[in-house]
Parts: sequence; C-alpha cells; structure tokens
Amino acid sequence: MRQIRTFLSSAVFSFKAQFSWLNPSMWLTMKFVLSLSQMAFFVFVGLFIRGPSVIPFIAIGNALQTVSWNTVFSVIQITSHDKWDGTLPALLATPASRLPLFVGRAMLHVFDGMISVVVSFAFATLLFGVDFGKANFLALAVAVIVTALTMTGFGLLVGGFAFRFRNPLVFANIFTYILLLFCGINFPVQDLPAALQPVAYVFPLTYGVDAARNAIAGTDLLGILPTIGLQLAVGAAAMMLGYFFFQRFENMARKSGKLETA
Amino acid sequence: MTKPKPTRVVYTAFRMGMLHWMADPQWVIPNIIAPFVFTMVALTLFRDSSGPFGLYAVLGGGMMGMWGNTIYSSGYSIDFDRWQGTLEEVLAAPSKLLHVIAGRCIANALFGLINMVAVFVIATTIFNISLGVANPLVFTLALALTLFSMSTLGLIFASGFVLSRSTQALTNGLETPLYIISGSMFPVALLPFWVHPLAYVLGPTWGVDAIRLATSSEYASQTFWTGLSPNLAIALDLAVMIGVTIIYVGAAAVLFKLVEKRVRTLGTLVQA
Repeated sequence: MRQIRTFLSSAVFSFKAQFSWLNPSMWLTMKFVLSLSQMAFFVFVGLFIRGPSVIPFIAIGNALQTVSWNTVFSVIQITSHDKWDGTLPALLATPASRLPLFVGRAMLHVFDGMISVVVSFAFATLLFGVDFGKANFLALAVAVIVTALTMTGFGLLVGGFAFRFRNPLVFANIFTYILLLFCGINFPVQDLPAALQPVAYVFPLTYGVDAARNAIAGTDLLGILPTIGLQLAVGAAAMMLGYFFFQRFENMARKSGKLETA
Repeated sequence: MTKPKPTRVVYTAFRMGMLHWMADPQWVIPNIIAPFVFTMVALTLFRDSSGPFGLYAVLGGGMMGMWGNTIYSSGYSIDFDRWQGTLEEVLAAPSKLLHVIAGRCIANALFGLINMVAVFVIATTIFNISLGVANPLVFTLALALTLFSMSTLGLIFASGFVLSRSTQALTNGLETPLYIISGSMFPVALLPFWVHPLAYVLGPTWGVDAIRLATSSEYASQTFWTGLSPNLAIALDLAVMIGVTIIYVGAAAVLFKLVEKRVRTLGTLVQA
C-alpha cells in the first residue's frame, strides 16, 4: 500500500514539477507547434528529394516520434531539475522505496505522450493527407499506448544514467533527436549503414513506429503482436537498467558527497 | 556618467559570450543537435538521389546550425541572466542592452559554424559528397553577411525575450518553423504560397540562396533570380539581405528602447 502511495505521489509531483520550467504556453508549444513543425520540415525535405509517395511514411513516423518529447526529454529533465532546484538531497533522504519512486515519476508522461501522438495524427491526416481509411484502430491504439509506455522506460534509462552527470539536459537533447535518425522515422531502418542497423533495435520506438504503420495499413492486433512483444521486452529491460543506474549512482553520490555536482 | 563606446561594449559582450562557451562547451550540444540530426536525416534521404540535393542538405544543415544557435542563444542569453540574477546589473550598466545582446548574438552565431564544419566533414567522409566551392571569396562574404543578418534577427527576438519568462517556449517554437520558412533545406517554392512573403522578409532566405550560388553552378536553375547570371543573382541576393538586415537593426534599436523603458517603468524585469 505504501509503495502504491509512493508511486502515485511520485507520478503526480514529478508531472507537476515540470511546470516550473514548462509553463502552460511551452506545454502547448511542444504539443502543437513542435509536433507540426518537425513533421512539416521532414515532409517537405522528403517531398523535395523523393517525391509525394514518401509523405505518409514520414508523417506517421514523425507523429510517433513526438512521444519522445514527453517520455524521453521531459523524463530526463526530471533528473536535471532535481539537481538544479536542490530537491535531490531531500528526495534521496526519504525512506521511500526507490523502485516505485523511480518508475512513478515518469508515469503521467505516458498519458501526455499519447496526447501528443493523437494531436500529430490529426495534423498528418488534415494537413498532409495521410489516409486512415484502412486503419485498424484497436491495433493502432495498442501500438501507441505500448510505445508511450516503453519509451518512458527508455527515458528512465537515460535519466538514470544521466543522474551521474552534472547536466542531464545534454543527454535529453541528444537522445530525443537521435531517435529521428535510428528509429525508421523518416526512412526505413534498412537505409542506415549496415553497421548501424542493429542500434535501431535498442530503441523501443523503432518497434512502435513499425507496428503503428502496419496498423494504419490495416494489420490487426494479432498481426502486430510479435513486434509489440519485442517492444515490451526492450522497454522493460531499459526501465530495469535505468533503475540499476539510478541506485548505483545514488550509492556512489552518497559515498563521494557529490549528489548535485557529479 | 560617460557612456562606453558601442563597439567596445559589443566586443566585450562578444568576448564574454565566447568565454562562456569555452568554459562550458557542453552547451553547444543542445544548441546544434537538432540541425545536426536533421541534416543527417536529409543526407540519408538524399543517398540514392541525383541532382543538387547534397548541396541543399550540406549547406542547409550548416545554415540551420547558425540559425539554431542564434535563436536559442538570443533567448537563453536573457534567461541565463535572469536565472543568475545578473539581468538587473546588465540593464543598470551605462551601456545599452542592445549592444550587449548584439555582441552575444554574434558570438553565438559564430559558434553555430561548428555545426557547419561537422556537417561538411561527415558529408565528405561518410556520405562521399564532394562540395567544391566554386567561388570561395564570394562564399565567405555571403556566409559572413548571412551570419551577421541572423545575429541582427536574433536581436529582434531577444528584445521580445526580455519581456517574457517564456523564452524557452518561444525559442523551441521558433526554431523549426524558421528552418522551414527560410527554405534552409528545400526550395521556398515547395511551401504554400502564403508562406512565401514570410520567407522573403527573412534575411537568411536570401543569404542561403547566395551561398548556394557561390558554391555550385548546378543551383543556377533554382535560385530566386532564374535567368540572370550567377554573379548578378548573388549581388541581388546580398543587396536584399543587406537591406533587410538594416531594417532589423533599426527595428531592434526601437524595440530595445521600448522594452527597456517598459521594464524600468513597471519594475517587471525579472518576473516579466
């Protein structure tokens, strides 16, 4: 019971805390302007280089990628702000169980991320003519939910790792944008150099984008299940590894006395 | 109290800006990561294509690096002062805020060149794109003028950022739309017609046209001045950009005056 309470309060406080730097206007900017402008940029680049046939591929990929603003960028920012705002010592001085504390802090970002994807899908269909006529909406909904969940796991992994460093914001930027290159967002993973292709499958988003594209093309839930299964496994592994980093670096910081400056 | 010479203030702010970057170079990553990744995506999309796409991707990527750094840094230079509690001192000093921010903006745009160098190196070594610059002298001149034009545009943004605590929202919201509108990586003609006037009032739109023309004759058919000789087209591009930049400087001077007066009168500098 106490663990559930820790989980819930961690979820609520971490989400509310982000509004110290992410005021409502910035939240709306990230939700509407960022998702639309990033999608539009790549749609125009794709249109220029490869013609109109690539528009749906790029628009859907970028719609799914918007989830990373909430589940990766914002989740890593929690670590940054704990350091900057001086709340880290107070947080780590509590006897609260670390696992619900660590996982809970990212949970409301899952829902926020899903809203971002829905908004982006609306842009994709209204502005870039992506056809959802054949879509299997149940499969698509599952793909979006699992992508938001597993990408939160990835955000916790990077956030846990970044705990060791003085400025986790650098990691937030790198790992939010690098997804555009590796996860089959704007071009198929097969277009990457052969040596880099395995890297793509380290990111849960790669599986999510693939599953969502298939769902929009009409594949049912059973058809995307193998991809979703792999995605869940990668996302869970990322979350556990992140928790391991978080605990390990907490111990190191306690020993060295470099909680905020490490 | 005698006012310090504007050139001295601009130089000192420029020097301080450079020293800040060198003291904590990790901050260059958030500022140039987006244009760098965007360029890598474009280069990968370009891989199996022919035509002047590589030119667009490489030069556009470099331009975006300068754009990104200018927009972010003009916003953060105000926010940074606000967080550190130095904004009041900067405003209370006898030097004009406009000159302080101008020096910082030039330093920041210059740091954006790091992205251009990185893009050039990767395009050459990994993507095997060879970009021989046809007219190095004109290329350098066009690049320097574009950098200056961006810095002055950064000044206009910065004047607004003094008024607002939402600079992060503004910078995040402005970055990619500016890449799109200025046609950094594709012709402006691809954009909806109602966006074209917005593109034409941005100095860097003309700057990148001149830079592309100075780099390769392959681009001559896609310039704003199709049909004219490349040299004349470059001269026209630069003339328009200089004209627009002069307007930016004038507008920034007026805006800073108004903004300074407003925050001094209302006492809302820090919590604005």
